Amino acid sequence: MSIKKEDILEKLNPADSFTLAMDEEIRKDGLAGNYGCFALVLSNIPDIEALQQRITEFSQRFPVSQASLRQIGRRFYWCKRNDPPTLFFQHHCPDNQNEADFQQQTLDRIINHKQTREISAPIEFHLLTGPKQHTFFIRWMHPFGDARGADLILKYLCTADDVQRQQFGLPETGSLVNVQLGKYRWWQKIGLLLKGKRYIDQLDRLESIQPFNSDLPPQRMNYTIKRLSEAQTEQVIKLARQHVGLTGTSLYYIGCLMRALEKMHPDNAGEAYCAPYAFNLRKQRALTPMTGNHVCALFAQVPRDAVQDRQKLFAHLKQQNAQVIRQQMDYAFLPLMWAGSWLSLTEYGKILRQSHGSGKERSSFWFSDVGRLDIPADSFPGAEIKAVFYACQVTTPPALAFLSCIYRNQLTLSYNFNEPVGNSEQIDKLHQLMLAELLGEAE
Amino acid sequence: MKKKLRDFIFQELVFIADPAQFSDDDDLLEAGLDSMGIMRLIMFIENEYGVTLPDTEIEPDNVQSFNALEQWILRHQNG
Repeated sequence: MSIKKEDILEKLNPADSFTLAMDEEIRKDGLAGNYGCFALVLSNIPDIEALQQRITEFSQRFPVSQASLRQIGRRFYWCKRNDPPTLFFQHHCPDNQNEADFQQQTLDRIINHKQTREISAPIEFHLLTGPKQHTFFIRWMHPFGDARGADLILKYLCTADDVQRQQFGLPETGSLVNVQLGKYRWWQKIGLLLKGKRYIDQLDRLESIQPFNSDLPPQRMNYTIKRLSEAQTEQVIKLARQHVGLTGTSLYYIGCLMRALEKMHPDNAGEAYCAPYAFNLRKQRALTPMTGNHVCALFAQVPRDAVQDRQKLFAHLKQQNAQVIRQQMDYAFLPLMWAGSWLSLTEYGKILRQSHGSGKERSSFWFSDVGRLDIPADSFPGAEIKAVFYACQVTTPPALAFLSCIYRNQLTLSYNFNEPVGNSEQIDKLHQLMLAELLGEAE
Repeated sequence: MKKKLRDFIFQELVFIADPAQFSDDDDLLEAGLDSMGIMRLIMFIENEYGVTLPDTEIEPDNVQSFNALEQWILRHQNG
């Protein structure tokens, strides 16, 4: 179908294309696609009218939220649709159904809902209600935005004051990835591109260990949420500070997960654990940009022998992170992402994730730490926010994505895995090992 | 020195609606300076002022405010 120029709302930026390459791979595996999810556990049924009104206002102010993702040549664009999609859905637990089962089954169905890219809404809002359990759930297509953007959208919905809501999305900055790329002259971009390539080549000298040892094809994505108590969270933060200092709480989680995986499957093939993590180009506390991905990738890689020694592991991660930033590797992937956005999705996907050395998967797991969320518990329209969690789809391999955030002084861990490559029993075992590592109770 | 630090932090790392209202004693960590931001700030300081700030000194007391940052840098410039 032909697309008129005036129907194009926005071109995907290089970081959006980066997430789209993974969307392609997830879809090829028969799963829903590269979707991110953000859930709020609420105290009661919220003010639905106010919520609906803010969602409508949001979709009108940010029309990309109602767009359709279309391909023109090799590039992808957000385009206008003739009929705007429904963005807000309500699901109520039937009287004859167990409430917990209803919540779990409904979330599971939403997360795994399959639609073509063109039909799928960039973002959907779901309200699940029942006699006692209430959840507000946001599911977005990754090319539409990143986790920090979802956090901003939620803040928008939680802002009661009309004037304050108008401040969101201002000033209009466009893609921060393109802004940053625009700061370099062409020869500097080539220099950065080579630096990024050399860095990846160096990582690829070691074959990455995979979290599961199954050859079964993935059938569906599942997730397990584990919430630590306030006292446990305080202990984790204290230990993180002690081991990796003020600059590396995320590195503490990464290191602990590497050790937990090594203990779970000490015989899995490979030489090192390798975890990609996103570095967001947004300024902290800024209310813009609302949509789009504004991230660059970094990697944490630790050889197996260093993972086995807790002190050595954290010293390694800390030194690697400092070195990467000293060498300005935090921006080195931008030209690679720009170049990648001109490739076909399949070609780009291979370069993104497969090791040039072994041709195998580079990532041992996906990782994202959103940090401490500062959304006031009483700001949601008509209900208190009791807890939050994130979830996301992931490629196979590695078939495991680990997400973390702290809300109301409680660390929440989200284990996302593709079944039957991994299963709930394995994840429960992994969490026990992870908890012992986080709390410093493991040897 | 504090002007350069303010410019870098407010232009690159943390959004403050009215930077003029943010005093040199106000809490940068509370304002949103996160771990990645601290690392990038340290790299900026080391390049700009020719000092090496030891990893062991990356503590809240040294990065909490513009005044604390200045004192930290001066200790190493003079040392």
